[in-house]
Amino acid sequence: MSMEDYDYLFKIVLIGNAGVGKTCLVRRFTQGLFPPGQGATIGVDFMIKTVEIKGEKVKLQIWDTAGQERFRSITQSYYRSANALILTYDITCEDSFRCLPEWLREIEQYANNQVVTILVGNKIDLVEKREVLRQRAEDFAEAQSMLYLETSAKESDNVEKLFLDLACELIREAKQNKLDNGDTAPMLGEGKTISYLNCCNVN
Amino acid sequence: MAAEDLPSEFDVVILGTGLAESVVAAACSRVGQRVLHLDRRSYYAANWASFTFNALLTWIQEQQEGPQPEQGKDWSSLLNDGEELIHLSNPDLDSITNIQVLSYASEEDEEVPDTAKEETSANSQLEAESTGSREEESAEAEEESAEAEATNTKGEEPEVDQSHPGASSGPSEPTRKKISYAQLLKEGRRFNIDLVSKLLFSRGSLVDLLIRSNVSRYTEFKNVTRILTYRHGNLQQVPCSRADVFASRQLSVVEKRKLMRFLTSCIEETEMDQAYSSQPYSKYLQDQQLGENLQHFLLHSIAMVTEDTPTEAGLASTRHFLRSLGRYGNSPFLFPVYGLGEIPQCFCRMSAVFGGIYCLRHSVSCLIVDKDANRCKAVIDSRGQRISCSHFVVEDGYLGSRSSVTTPTRLLSRAILITDSSVLPSDSEQQVSMVTIPPGEVCQSAVKMVELCSSTMTCMPGTYLVHLTCQSVGSAFEDLSQLVTKMFQTPESQEPGGRPSVLWSLYFNMADGSVPGVEGQGLPSNVHVCSGPEGSLDHEHSIKQAELIFQRILPDEEFCPPAPNPEDIIYDGESPTPSAEEDSVKEAGQQEESGGDLKEAGQQEESGGDLNPQLDQ
Repeated sequence: MSMEDYDYLFKIVLIGNAGVGKTCLVRRFTQGLFPPGQGATIGVDFMIKTVEIKGEKVKLQIWDTAGQERFRSITQSYYRSANALILTYDITCEDSFRCLPEWLREIEQYANNQVVTILVGNKIDLVEKREVLRQRAEDFAEAQSMLYLETSAKESDNVEKLFLDLACELIREAKQNKLDNGDTAPMLGEGKTISYLNCCNVN
Repeated sequence: MAAEDLPSEFDVVILGTGLAESVVAAACSRVGQRVLHLDRRSYYAANWASFTFNALLTWIQEQQEGPQPEQGKDWSSLLNDGEELIHLSNPDLDSITNIQVLSYASEEDEEVPDTAKEETSANSQLEAESTGSREEESAEAEEESAEAEATNTKGEEPEVDQSHPGASSGPSEPTRKKISYAQLLKEGRRFNIDLVSKLLFSRGSLVDLLIRSNVSRYTEFKNVTRILTYRHGNLQQVPCSRADVFASRQLSVVEKRKLMRFLTSCIEETEMDQAYSSQPYSKYLQDQQLGENLQHFLLHSIAMVTEDTPTEAGLASTRHFLRSLGRYGNSPFLFPVYGLGEIPQCFCRMSAVFGGIYCLRHSVSCLIVDKDANRCKAVIDSRGQRISCSHFVVEDGYLGSRSSVTTPTRLLSRAILITDSSVLPSDSEQQVSMVTIPPGEVCQSAVKMVELCSSTMTCMPGTYLVHLTCQSVGSAFEDLSQLVTKMFQTPESQEPGGRPSVLWSLYFNMADGSVPGVEGQGLPSNVHVCSGPEGSLDHEHSIKQAELIFQRILPDEEFCPPAPNPEDIIYDGESPTPSAEEDSVKEAGQQEESGGDLKEAGQQEESGGDLNPQLDQ
């Protein structure tokens, strides 16, 4: 078999209150579907999309909360090796915006220090029901040194841009960090065929 | 928030997020059962949890304060004819006892040049404020019990000039700067401190299950890099692989040959001499003319059994060790990056992906039992909602007095240390060591010690996290502090010398989960009890228990079949796109070009990808 057919692989993790449209954003981007209701989400751990940026193939592995945000019970391990976080709220729901500081506390506790965080205000197709002003969200994002973007998963507004911008940012960071390569962990299933017994037989 | 109500009908309700409960949750959701998984606590994994340093201090405080009084609400109005209630209790009631904290780190940074004094003083005040006095008090309340040095009373203005207990090690020592308590707090999130200390045998049932179920995609592992043993007051490396044996400087050529011959014959499973069927393994080893040195290694570090373990069991343990050796590295053990607390959470994630509903800070007050059928029909949650279920799985702690009345309490003694260097320094600072301390060496019982380095993401750089575990004879402090004083540098240590200094330590006793549970003791037949962690190094007990419970609930279903690879899933009404096809035929591999972060993601993928455990031998 050939080597992997990509130059970069990034893990992107979505968080935010239930019902703000996290799954819709992922499905719109990876499959071009809306609403995503048709296909089963049961059993889907993450979605994959490979994009090309300036001639480099970037594979994005996008993880959803699996509903654990509903009762504020996301596992810490969900955040662990994320390269980027998409913190989502619903511009028509003040409450989802007010919960952002709580989410930021979780990020600070469990996510990697170098994680790239982007704040996303979704559902701009429902602009007449807007409860959170753009300026307010921009100010908040700036204060927390996050990028900010408003999207509509329904109309596909800015969805592509969201993920492509993130990918660009991640590539930039990856190129910067290239020098500090941590040592690698052994992986399950990566088992060595040279067992102890084999060692004994080679003389 | 989350005032949302829970659905009122499930197939399986599970209370407690320890390892066995979480595996049952994943297994049931995986085959389509509707699972509700609750935990009264605000964190996952119950007594299997790992905490940041600050969260551990909060946990200690909670344990010391004792549980909040339960509101004895009367739910009998929710009962129908022929039903009765079984009340549950708080799981934290008596599983943790004898907590003792000793802090030896200085409050302030030491070895600060005079010119910088003003600045540090300002810093330390800031730190004292920002870290919040709540947690510090809890730690310090215990400090009184021991004559820990360098514990100036907090709450008073920290005075830099006074608090230089380590002034002797002046600024002329450029190599190491002592880590202060303030730094531990500041870097607290870099710690992931496990309440239990275990390892994964590379060919143990947990590793098998992780691979088989694809739950392995949620976590990463490090190899334990060396096996050490403490003998006659010295630490020695135990040679276990062929390379080790030949590189060993402690063994004579004759010993090397004997050891290799023994290990090879052991793994070939040659018929055991029947003469030894009723003899202890130690006698068997003695008769193999291996010499005292090798017998010690084989009995205590490889088989990890006691003097009177029967030969057959001893040989089985030795084989298990040898089979696990070399699968992933030069030792039979793996340790999960970010700590053991990750493992139950990974199974919870798998359950959630397959529709399991998760709710922390939410408990079950009582069970509703059908008197005639003696079956649990429903539960009443802590908000008074009646939730029907066909099966109820529960961590034994919630059964409270029910379990402790009938079973003698056996305890584990635990000590957790944060130290400033490794017990056995070597070329690499990033060693993960498993240390066996045979019974009688210092302590009455055999002590298992695991020393973790910062690359396991369980402690801050420049520190090591040391876990000690043994069967209790007395309190954890009585059982283990003498050993700590001998192997490490504390103010109580007699002779000085190049041993690691203890910066902070915690002692506590935990109920031993291997004690036979309350199964069947008047409980309805569809209530399944999971025990908490026990003292063994491996995870066999909990995994077996989870599998048994699953089989009782769903006798005809497969236990944790592999979750589909996300790259292979084809969604309804969608023809596979070219890119999806490409993805599915790809073979996972390491990206050369990628940086550190990418690598992690790359491995994540690898673990979940096209791995076939069968390929491996």
